[in-house]
Amino acid sequence: MIKKLLLLTSTFSLLLLTGCGQTVPELGAGGSSNITDASAITGDAVSINENSYGNESGQNSSSDGFQSIYFDFGDYGISSGMQNAVTRNVTIAGKASRKIKIEGNCDEFGTDEYNYALGLKRAKAVKDALVSQGVNGSKIVLVSFGESNPVCTSATDSCYGKNRRVDLRLIK
Amino acid sequence: MRYILFLLLSLNLFAVDATLRIETDVEHRTRIALEDGSSAVNDKFFRILQADLKISGHFLTDSNHNRGEFNSNFIAPSLKNKEYVLKYSLHQSSGTKLIIRLLKASNAAEVFKKSYAIPTTAKAPFLAHKAISDVNDALKYPSIGWINRYVIFARYTQPKQSEIILSDYTFNYQKAIIRGGLNLFPKWADAKQQSFYYTSYAGVIPTLYRLNIYSGSKSRIASSEGMIICSDVKRNGSKILVTMAPNAQPDIYEMSSSGGSKRRITTFNGIDVNGKYLNNENSIVFVSNRLGYANIFKKSIGGSGVSQVVYHGRNNNAVDASGNKIVYSSRESHNSFGNNSFNLYLMSSNSASSRPLTTTGTNQFPHFSTDGSVVQYIKHRGGSSSIGYINLKSKQSLLFPLSGRKIQSIDW
Repeated sequence: MIKKLLLLTSTFSLLLLTGCGQTVPELGAGGSSNITDASAITGDAVSINENSYGNESGQNSSSDGFQSIYFDFGDYGISSGMQNAVTRNVTIAGKASRKIKIEGNCDEFGTDEYNYALGLKRAKAVKDALVSQGVNGSKIVLVSFGESNPVCTSATDSCYGKNRRVDLRLIK
Repeated sequence: MRYILFLLLSLNLFAVDATLRIETDVEHRTRIALEDGSSAVNDKFFRILQADLKISGHFLTDSNHNRGEFNSNFIAPSLKNKEYVLKYSLHQSSGTKLIIRLLKASNAAEVFKKSYAIPTTAKAPFLAHKAISDVNDALKYPSIGWINRYVIFARYTQPKQSEIILSDYTFNYQKAIIRGGLNLFPKWADAKQQSFYYTSYAGVIPTLYRLNIYSGSKSRIASSEGMIICSDVKRNGSKILVTMAPNAQPDIYEMSSSGGSKRRITTFNGIDVNGKYLNNENSIVFVSNRLGYANIFKKSIGGSGVSQVVYHGRNNNAVDASGNKIVYSSRESHNSFGNNSFNLYLMSSNSASSRPLTTTGTNQFPHFSTDGSVVQYIKHRGGSSSIGYINLKSKQSLLFPLSGRKIQSIDW
């Protein structure tokens, strides 16, 4: 009786286990001997050289008598320690015969878009300060360079501080 | 009668086991070995094939660089415990030719064969990706077409100078599309990856262009004082999300792909950036400092209400979305700067809970693959940088080392 039960159970177990074993997936039609030229890969992309076009490399400080304005980490408010530099810039801007470019810059922390917006808010803070002291706002153009225009690259607090700045210059 | 009862009982018991077994098999990855039948050994190509198999999430790959006769059906005894052996032969002279044969390890039956030829050696990594995605398709696994896609990124070369590079997902293939000048924020413009948007600083104010990478034709889309960045593109390519500042105020706009019309989506007087289409592209997720620090918010495109999405972290300054899935980068340490750790988190737009995807290093620039199954990111750790991938289903991850210049922005 017991032998019969064991034999029967074993037989069914074996059948079930065989039925549940992993099967090799069926292949799609035309699975063998396909030839392709991989044409989607071969298209050759262009290569454009803009080295002689709009190259402002090296302009990483204020010029034409303006002074750079420096900011605290993550901040776009002008500190009281920067007010003398703002006053000097108001004087220079008042005498300027050409348009003034105000460039916002950041340190290397923060990621892509946010850093460019932060640079812009710093540039706008300087513009607002100049306009509030009588400079004609239509003479000013703002551009943010995010973290793309550092004056130094060493991993020190003092270097990071030099990069969190707004530069001013006359548009040539 | 007793036999019948016992038989039914046995069937029931095994039926439970069978269910469990099937579920286990769904989780099970296919054991596969690569066998190199090339006349010249190319270890780099082998590693690319191996990486492709791993990040697919569907294969458990033998780590050995096995060698064997390509045309032979002989299966080495050491590979008999695999389910498949993928034989390949790579030949490179003026171009690249690759032939693959997929054999069952148990009986050496050939179940798939294909050959590829391209007139260049530089793009050999794409042949590896194509071959593995074809093997994956032949075995009827969910598509891994994303490994065939181009990655496009901008990297700084010196102050106010950058280059925009085209690469494969492993960065083994790289070609400069634009050298010189300051050109940033490349973003694919169409599903076929024939054109991309980017921001040029060649003029007095930043200008958004679309460039066809094959014809070189360039269209001006829009300009903005301060900044202009294409952050996301609708799946059908008809509209784009742009961060721009026509009044010196960075906000998110939706614009037609030609730049002909635009509407403002956010109106905060602080910082709103990094808009990404969410759910059915009728809402966006974005980064804002409206709580005093960078954090993740969402809003419907036509509505006015803004909802906070993330409730942890001290600086959550990058986000991407795919359907209702959201991935973001979060800094939880106290330091304002220095060796902070940024980690990636995954969440659903329908839930406030999230789960970490990374636990070490600085992990930023998260991007979903086109099907949302894989996250791409940049990892900085211990003075070195890598491009990383996390398969969300299989939890497989890969890192490829990056050397040299700092990446500014990346799209996939």
